Amino acid sequence: MDRDNNMQKQIDETLHVLENLETVHVSPFFKDKTMQVLFAEKTEAPMAWSWFTPKLQLATLVCIVVLNVLAFIKLEKASAYEVHVSEFAESYGLSVYNEDTSILNN
Amino acid sequence: MTENEFIAGLRNHHASAYGKLLDDFQQKVFATCISFVPNKEDAEDIAQEVFVEVFKSIEKFKGQSKLSTWVYRITTNKCLEFIRKRNTKKRFGFMQSILGNEIPLDKTSYFTEMNHPGVILENKEKSQTLFYAINQLPEAQKVVFTLHKVDGKSYQEISAITEKSIASVESLMFRAKKNLQKLLEYFYKNNN
Repeated sequence: MDRDNNMQKQIDETLHVLENLETVHVSPFFKDKTMQVLFAEKTEAPMAWSWFTPKLQLATLVCIVVLNVLAFIKLEKASAYEVHVSEFAESYGLSVYNEDTSILNN
Repeated sequence: MTENEFIAGLRNHHASAYGKLLDDFQQKVFATCISFVPNKEDAEDIAQEVFVEVFKSIEKFKGQSKLSTWVYRITTNKCLEFIRKRNTKKRFGFMQSILGNEIPLDKTSYFTEMNHPGVILENKEKSQTLFYAINQLPEAQKVVFTLHKVDGKSYQEISAITEKSIASVESLMFRAKKNLQKLLEYFYKNNN
């Protein structure tokens, strides 16, 4: 019984120990040190591409994709035109290509 | 300088705004850090990390809570991150000692060397025991107990920092006290 009471007293004292905690002050140089760290990091930040914001990056990407699609469509049209011309030339016997004169067969 | 001008200054990374932020918050942030991590050097390092995080993430501050609440939330997260990392290192050290490698095992297995200048000499041992017991609590209980009992914050402030209702904070506090009672009972039974 006494042992239990004694133990409970120890527990209570331990739980109340925080009431006697004294305030600890931060070191007087903390502000200067932290300001140095903050603004040293700021100057290290790369500034060369800072104008190239995410919005501009997206716009550039869209432009590139549109240009590629347009170029692809134009290429398709051009190759279809060439096919039609060569078909026309062949049907009228105007084709320059001849298996006998092919350089690769020489 | 109004609150909005001050926050705009922080967003634009003006040195004067950060000077004011440090004047207003360095002691409060440090007090919270030393409540979680009872070692002056470690607490100062964490406090510095808090201000670096504010500097980097101020764009994410939308003004939905008070600036002070947002700063304390970062402080609490940084302290928990530090404790988690240190506890992992201790467990790794323990594994290495089992496997026979030559890393000395810290007998207390506490995550830092206790160096709290606010503890008076006659209470040193009891404080060590209490901080050791707090570290054994589940994280949510540890946060609420530390912010209320060690750092002296109100339930309202803790509710805003942890984004929990006041009823949840009270419930966590009740469970924390109950668990601490059990942990201390176990400790004193084995050490008397």
